[in-house]
Amino acid sequence: MNPDPEESDPGLARERTNMAWTRTAISFAALGAAILKDHLVPGLIVLALGLATWILSRLLPGTFGATGARPRQLLLVTVAVTAVAAVALGVALTART
Amino acid sequence: MGLIAASHATPGPADGDADAVESEPDARFTFANERTFLAWTRTALAFVVAGLGVVQLLPPFPGVPWGRHVLGVPLIVIGAVIAVTSYSQWVRSQQALRRGQPLPRSVLPRILAIAITAMAIVSAVVLLVSAVLKPR
Repeated sequence: MNPDPEESDPGLARERTNMAWTRTAISFAALGAAILKDHLVPGLIVLALGLATWILSRLLPGTFGATGARPRQLLLVTVAVTAVAAVALGVALTART
Repeated sequence: MGLIAASHATPGPADGDADAVESEPDARFTFANERTFLAWTRTALAFVVAGLGVVQLLPPFPGVPWGRHVLGVPLIVIGAVIAVTSYSQWVRSQQALRRGQPLPRSVLPRILAIAITAMAIVSAVVLLVSAVLKPR
């Protein structure tokens, strides 16, 4: 009695979206590791953002239950990326020419 | 399993569009919109990584001390622009889905194309200037 995955998750959309979240979290972590090389604290913060993204994706409403838009969570990710870009800009501008 | 799961239709004259009736779109569309947003987010992060890498990891261009900053800083700014734009794009697409309207055209491919072209030109210029000014 195997439940048809098309019933519970049409087009496997939910699973593919969860994997997209995982890829995004890994991207954050990779950026954190790159920053870590020269800047310990900012690097650790961005690494933590990667972990936070992953945890956020697990906590999302709709991940395991009903579906629906989640604007607040996506806005959070946008704010995080923009903040990281601002930190990177600061690092780049203070680097010696 | 109907394609349009119009579960709780709510009349939503959000911004001037009095005829627009909003309803929850098919979950697949919502998920697809979200994945598109996440893909652009990763693109934005890649730009930030690239910009940071240019400034931090490349050896200086001979004869062009400002070369790495000219390449790296715009890359980071482009990353931030893509991140913010992708969110507003997600909002507009989600609204169009809720209203059953055609999806709005995305400006992101144009931003990406212009950004990459501009960065390629700037990179070529920096390399050429460096080759000319290189102490030999």
